[in-house]
Amino acid sequence: MVKFYENAFSYDYQWPAVTLAYFLRYPNPYSTHVISTDTLASELDPVTGNLHLTRLHLKRGKLPASVARFLPKIKESYILEHSVVDVKNQRLETETRNLDWEGVLSVVESQVYTPSAERTTRDGKTDVQTIVRFESRLGSGKVVKDVEEKRGFFSNWTTGSVQRSIELVGVRRMREGLGRSREGMKVVLEQLRERGMVGVLREQRKGGWERWKKAWRGEGELMDDLPIERK
Amino acid sequence: MSASIDPECSEKKERYDTCFIKWYSEKYLRGESQTDECKDLFKEYQICLNKALKSKGIDAMIEEARKTSPNNDNAKHG
Repeated sequence: MVKFYENAFSYDYQWPAVTLAYFLRYPNPYSTHVISTDTLASELDPVTGNLHLTRLHLKRGKLPASVARFLPKIKESYILEHSVVDVKNQRLETETRNLDWEGVLSVVESQVYTPSAERTTRDGKTDVQTIVRFESRLGSGKVVKDVEEKRGFFSNWTTGSVQRSIELVGVRRMREGLGRSREGMKVVLEQLRERGMVGVLREQRKGGWERWKKAWRGEGELMDDLPIERK
Repeated sequence: MSASIDPECSEKKERYDTCFIKWYSEKYLRGESQTDECKDLFKEYQICLNKALKSKGIDAMIEEARKTSPNNDNAKHG
């Protein structure tokens, strides 16, 4: 079963700053579940001038009780991120997906960052289009390595009800995750503007996140981020 | 700056990350660089990282995933 969710929003910052914040976004006060980030590949295409980056994030799973009973062993998950920066055309494309539970639940988030046509603020804006492809593969017949073993957890439940539970939780978590990652980006962008890159790096090393969070609490405007379901 | 998956690699990662972010913001974004200036630091960091991924037993999973990505370099180049 495959579902798509779409979302559009804008940052009140210029495109170069937003792309820099994207690569610097961890750690931030909203990313306490992100344990590590490593770069696996960094390639500059000599023909197009595009920059291709592949990174691996390790995230701590905070599973709700309703799902933890089905998947007792998920504590951490690996996220693969691939991004392409096209500096000539000012376009950043990103794709993140979960790795280890791909056979049971696959979530692929694709984003496109471009300068906004609407230039109402002095500094310009950057639009972000997000599409999340959400697939639970239970009972779909597509079995990848290791999945048989993992599916053993589900043997006492009817596939349909488990699948629905996982999908519901997955959708809710995805919405929460999108909101959190946006808030995290805003914190990094604000700090980049106020302190510059060196200041951000210093602060990230010191881990002064609580102070940032306090300063931001209640200040950001709430945007309508409910995803639209495409059938 | 974020931590590495293996604390052993954190120092090398930090040196590379610092180089990369500086190059990215001061040169690449301004269209002033056609070469990756952090290659040597990246190589050192990768030696450590690849060892860590192997010892955690996730190197094969990652390689496989990178091959099948709909957005991978082979599909995207050009």
